[in-house]
Amino acid sequence: MQTVFSIAIDAFAYGMALFIICIGLSLTMGLMRVINLAHGAFAMIAGYIASYAQRELGTGYAIALLLSILGTIVISIPVERFLYRRIYGSPQLTQVLMTIGITFCVIGITNFFFGPTLKTIPLPASLAAPVDIGFRTVAGHRLFVMACGLVVAAGLWFLIEKTAFGIKLRATVDNAGMADALGIKTQVVYAISFAIALGLAAFGGVVGAEFLPIEPYYALRYMVTFLVVVSVGGAGSIPGALLACLVLGAIDTTARYLMPDFGNFFFYAAVIAIVCVFPRGFLGRAQ
Amino acid sequence: MSGRKLLCAAIGALLAGSVAASADTIKVGIIGPFSGPFALQGKNFQAGVEAYMALNGKSVKGHDIEVIYRDLPAANPQQSRALAQELVVKDKVQYLGGVYFTPDAMAITPLLTQANTPLVIFNAATSAIMTQSPLVVRTSFTTAQTTTPLGKIAVERGIKKVITAVSDYGPGIDAEVAFKKAFEAAGGQVVESVRMPLNTNDFSPIMQRVRDSKADAVFAFLPSGPTTLGFVKAYNETGLKQAGIKFLAPGDLTQESDLPALGDGALGLLTTFHYAVSHDSPENKKFVEAAAKAVGGIDQLSFPAVGAFDGMHVIYKMIEATDGKQDAQKAVNAVKGLAWTSPRGPVSIDSETRHITENIYLREVAKGADGKTYNKEIQTFPNQKDPGLPTP
Amino acid sequence: MQAIAKSRQAATVSGGNTHLLRDGLGLLLIIAAGAAGYWLFPDNLALLTRVIAVALLVLSIDLIVGYCGVATLGQATLYGAGAYAAGMACLRGVTEPMTLIVIGAAAGAMAGLVMGTIMLRAHGLAQLVLSIAIVQLAHEAANKASAYTGGSDGLAGFSPSPLFGTFEFDLWGRTAYLFGLALLVLVFILLKFVVASPFGMLCRGIKEDPVRIRSMGAFVFPVLLKMFIISGAVAGMGGALAAISTQVVGLDSVSFELSANSLVMLVLGGLGSLYGALIGTVIFMGFEHFVSAINPFHWMTMVGALLIAVVLVAPGGLSGLIDRALPGMRDKGGQRP
Repeated sequence: MQTVFSIAIDAFAYGMALFIICIGLSLTMGLMRVINLAHGAFAMIAGYIASYAQRELGTGYAIALLLSILGTIVISIPVERFLYRRIYGSPQLTQVLMTIGITFCVIGITNFFFGPTLKTIPLPASLAAPVDIGFRTVAGHRLFVMACGLVVAAGLWFLIEKTAFGIKLRATVDNAGMADALGIKTQVVYAISFAIALGLAAFGGVVGAEFLPIEPYYALRYMVTFLVVVSVGGAGSIPGALLACLVLGAIDTTARYLMPDFGNFFFYAAVIAIVCVFPRGFLGRAQ
Repeated sequence: MSGRKLLCAAIGALLAGSVAASADTIKVGIIGPFSGPFALQGKNFQAGVEAYMALNGKSVKGHDIEVIYRDLPAANPQQSRALAQELVVKDKVQYLGGVYFTPDAMAITPLLTQANTPLVIFNAATSAIMTQSPLVVRTSFTTAQTTTPLGKIAVERGIKKVITAVSDYGPGIDAEVAFKKAFEAAGGQVVESVRMPLNTNDFSPIMQRVRDSKADAVFAFLPSGPTTLGFVKAYNETGLKQAGIKFLAPGDLTQESDLPALGDGALGLLTTFHYAVSHDSPENKKFVEAAAKAVGGIDQLSFPAVGAFDGMHVIYKMIEATDGKQDAQKAVNAVKGLAWTSPRGPVSIDSETRHITENIYLREVAKGADGKTYNKEIQTFPNQKDPGLPTP
Repeated sequence: MQAIAKSRQAATVSGGNTHLLRDGLGLLLIIAAGAAGYWLFPDNLALLTRVIAVALLVLSIDLIVGYCGVATLGQATLYGAGAYAAGMACLRGVTEPMTLIVIGAAAGAMAGLVMGTIMLRAHGLAQLVLSIAIVQLAHEAANKASAYTGGSDGLAGFSPSPLFGTFEFDLWGRTAYLFGLALLVLVFILLKFVVASPFGMLCRGIKEDPVRIRSMGAFVFPVLLKMFIISGAVAGMGGALAAISTQVVGLDSVSFELSANSLVMLVLGGLGSLYGALIGTVIFMGFEHFVSAINPFHWMTMVGALLIAVVLVAPGGLSGLIDRALPGMRDKGGQRP
């Protein structure tokens, strides 16, 4: 029984870490209809900023986190203005070409400036220490990741379903032309949602760095995982993404415990099964 | 289609310019992962080569040496063959060197005899490569070579039961097999063997398995980089270290460039390997100074650099023996049995297998006076050959 | 003038003659470019052979992405199936190169059948994810079955017998290149017939509007599955060619990376005209080779910049650019997104 609980906690933590990174991608893909393969690249940029801020500037973890989110958004503004705005509404494959190109560039540039070594983001003592939860110890940052995941999910749900901005966003997504005609500045809505999505990527990149360490190849290494999680959940759906992360996290963790030799088989077989049963992902919208 | 022809012509014109070179220059082609996920290792190849040339001059017996680097980011035999062919046929290199991955080396070996070119392998660590062609010399190590002493050490330190956890790919399996053989020969017992998929991100479930196995120690092998980091982190966080479960591994896991990222979590890890940057000898001091300069900081320096450094030594000796003439067999014969003092200690090229014979050191990750962690050598196993190759 | 007007008229009425003329011209250009490669870069033939093998893979993707509208990021499964089948057959004594190509094609076609059956159950993004899952599973399976595939060390130690008993696959790679070029031209001609046939038109129709095709009384699934099998055979031949010319098969031949790269090459060149596939492959691999030789450490930035530039300048791919520059050459078969 203890083992089951123990596995469940590990699975939950891993699932939440995935969720924080992927939810931004789910928004860009579902709401803005952009297949942003460079999502991981932005998470990676944030990781580098956080690492740099802490190691070179000597700031604390919280400030580094904040700086990394702001920095990533600042970097993303010209990228959105000059590159992404050209591919809104383009065919998916054109978007793939452009965003892979951006990913390659980011990898090349980080490799040039920061070198190919692993970068760590030191945790504050309160998060680094193991916490005793009765039958085993859990690293503090794992609990932190779980909490962050829940907060992000709730906050996003509130933003999209309950605020005026959320209404504008949904209107723009459903019919951009009509929304424009009704006086909604769709370009601004797109720009803001893009910034939010990348802010989440940045947040996830830093908080999830204990699971997915920061190095130049990060952007490509985890691209498949992110894409799979988003599609299984249903692009654009927050509860869907949450569900997908928890289910896939559970399958991944359990399979690696029970049959580590065939861990990947279970993961991808599960993905195939889920997609065959739910062709739009768990809670995807009808296209 | 006319654009394509135009481009061909344009590239052709550009390339033609770069082909011309003076007759008295001997070219060496180095193939390695200079970009992509293994860029660090490729950078270390370059650092080793440049360090050697900085310390020993850029010419041998009046022949200038020119090194040409070609990038092969990940294991890709077809690209490897294409690069080797281009280096030999177009760039007219007399020596090939480098090669990080086994399949890439396998793709080059069939070309060597026809190309009349020796291949000096700086890394690719599978025993079988040496039997593919008589023109291959290797200055790195094999996983079996670095792992085998660990079996004896484990028993000496009172470890009776071990669980092995290795990444599910060639070198990982080599390590598992070698350790199991050595450990069981010394009287230990491997209670369980886990093979983890290469793209595992979260290692907590594996640690749970280690705990459940009730073993005294875990033997691990993973490719260096993010996976190693995740594994060592999980080992610390799940309390295995506090529970007294020892951690044994070949030295790939604690390569110096990963140590800053591993931090204090790595303290006390026991590894066996052929080289540590901290190795105390005048040769190594000179090497580290030169290589750190070439790689751009000592914290990026790692073991492939020493393989490249000694590889260049072998190539220099080959050039000396052939006096600049292209004669692959003569060149290889000249270095058979060659012995010298490398930054890693005394080494020699086995005249039968053409693989390097070297000391293997037991190291423990310890904290230095400057607060940084390093691999501290605590025991030496002199003159180890590759157990994976038939020795006369 | 009159003649031109007449031929235009003929084109609008039948479309047959000019198509034939244009494709004949295109084919001549491919052969000319291939021959030019042989004479201009006699020292890079191994690279050019690699380009041809990948070009076959990219062509096979064009068949299902460009003509059927099925998104895939897992095409290397079919390529790898062909490569491993050829390698294993060669290791077991079947060393005749032509036979090996046929074996590769058969293995690719079988893999295409399986992959198509699974992938055609879904659409859009889900389909893309299915293809990724399949290629990852295949990769994992090839790694696990190391007794047969050599695992991550690669399948090595086989050598194909000389072509026609005389031309060896040697260091200079002339045999491999000319053999590959002949194969490419042959496949290209066959595919031109396939995509111009009623079957090819049906596929294109399905891409445009599957509902309408279905209501016309055609069965969508078997048609697409058939294209998958053809595509598998083409990709398998590419894999077999790679195995024959390299004499090593590595796990990279069934990887997501190869699949993604080749899709990028296709989109770069332009979808749905077969020419785009060739242009994209040559430009991408040529450019990559060129910049990585100049700076082996930081060339990735340049490749990324190239992709971005192409999207900004020619969103329809490079072949679209050529069409725009030479309106007369426009291939009406090409449906660009």
